[in-house]
Amino acid sequence: MKRPGLVLQWLAPLAVFALLYLGWQAIAFNYRSILPPFGDVTGDFLSRPGFYGTNLLATLHAALTGFAIGSAVAILLAVLAVYFASLRAAILPVALLLNVTPIVAISPALIVAFGFNAVPHIIVAALAAFFPMLINAMSGLRQVDREALDVFHAMSASPVEVFLHLRLPGALPQVFAGAKLGITAAMVGAIVSEFTGTSRGIGAAIVMATTYLNLSQMWVAIFVSALTTLALVGLVVLLEKLIVRW
Amino acid sequence: MSTDRILLQDLSKVFTRDGRQVQALTGVNAAFQRGEFITLFGPSGCGKTSLLRIIAGLEAQSSGEVSLFGQSPATASQLKNIAWVPQSPALLPWLSLRNNVLLSERLNRRADRRPGSHRQPEDADAVLRDLGLADFAGARPAQLSGGMRQRAAMARAFVQGAELMLMDEPFSALDELTRDAVRMRLLQVWEKHRKTVIFVTHSAAEAVMLSDRVLVMTPRPGRVHREVQIDLPRPRTQEVLESPAFDAKLREVRQVLRSGWEGEE
Repeated sequence: MKRPGLVLQWLAPLAVFALLYLGWQAIAFNYRSILPPFGDVTGDFLSRPGFYGTNLLATLHAALTGFAIGSAVAILLAVLAVYFASLRAAILPVALLLNVTPIVAISPALIVAFGFNAVPHIIVAALAAFFPMLINAMSGLRQVDREALDVFHAMSASPVEVFLHLRLPGALPQVFAGAKLGITAAMVGAIVSEFTGTSRGIGAAIVMATTYLNLSQMWVAIFVSALTTLALVGLVVLLEKLIVRW
Repeated sequence: MSTDRILLQDLSKVFTRDGRQVQALTGVNAAFQRGEFITLFGPSGCGKTSLLRIIAGLEAQSSGEVSLFGQSPATASQLKNIAWVPQSPALLPWLSLRNNVLLSERLNRRADRRPGSHRQPEDADAVLRDLGLADFAGARPAQLSGGMRQRAAMARAFVQGAELMLMDEPFSALDELTRDAVRMRLLQVWEKHRKTVIFVTHSAAEAVMLSDRVLVMTPRPGRVHREVQIDLPRPRTQEVLESPAFDAKLREVRQVLRSGWEGEE
């Protein structure tokens, strides 16, 4: 039964992409103002990869720095929340409030505060990555095999040992689930934050394209950010496969 | 305090559930010899698991004393002198079988430097061989069958080399055929090591098959109703387990339970 599985795995999505492509072209050649022909999009990218590369690097810098900071703080808080119930009670409402706040909307306020540089975008990316990471890490660290805990306690394992040998490895699958969501959120956060207050980054390239009604540039920027985010998630999955091998 | 016996003196346990006080255990007195296989047998609600947890120091008693070869449960635990076998195998899925079995060597390493340490860790590979797991030492728990995982949980306890092994219905989640096979393994390995074991079960056959002595417990409030000496010869070969004497003991244990507990629908 291997073959039908392979067909389903590769041919079905390929067919969907082919249909999407045909639909795209049908619109592009009838309504030029809605979509550019696909050839224009790829042509624009191939004619000036340096332009997109530079902007992508700026976005990646903001997104990855923000992701690193946001998830580090989230994991640290999640660890502390396991041991201090009062901290857990204090964190959750703030985290929820943060989650329902349109974080990208505070980007202008951050630009006023920190100026026209990468800092506001990094902060937005960090805030976007923070919540999924916190929720997943907290639930992963809290749910622990009670019976394994009995085995540990019966031989007087120290709290540090319980953490390092039981809680932390047990939480890894959930931490990775949080990282997959967090890295996506960080990319989106960075790009949308770049809509204001900067001339660098994929977000800025999209805004610029709007100003000049440059549809091709807009779509290259969209595809580049989507494919890059996909690659980043793929990287997290790869890392997970290497570390979580059970 | 006697250093060659386990003494339970007037143990009781009261806990509060939904604002009501529930007497889980009352007036438990018992003495176990070193090297004995003791079974706490009774229906659910008789406090057998509570009693085992108190002996392990995992729960505190409301009143009474526990002495494990002259030490408190807390001290014995600090010396890694108590090995706990839970109901589910509770293996760590990220460790190989061999590393799971060696868990006691990773944790609480200070224990062996404390004065009064008596535990004698066993060779992991030898124990794995005795329990029929030698070929799977490198496998992860997820790759093993339920029976193998349960044998691994026992191997982990034997490797720890504690003077006292506490087993909380370790076979209750297994299907009947696997149960029989794993019980037989336990019997063989125990008869070789002769550690002191306190074993909890609600299966009369399991109690008679494994034990030197069965403490029959009854519920509401949980207490030890009576003790039954299982003076069947060891090793408990298949012949012993199929003998009329075995059946007679099984009937006796069941009768003792009935005499203290009418049973419930």
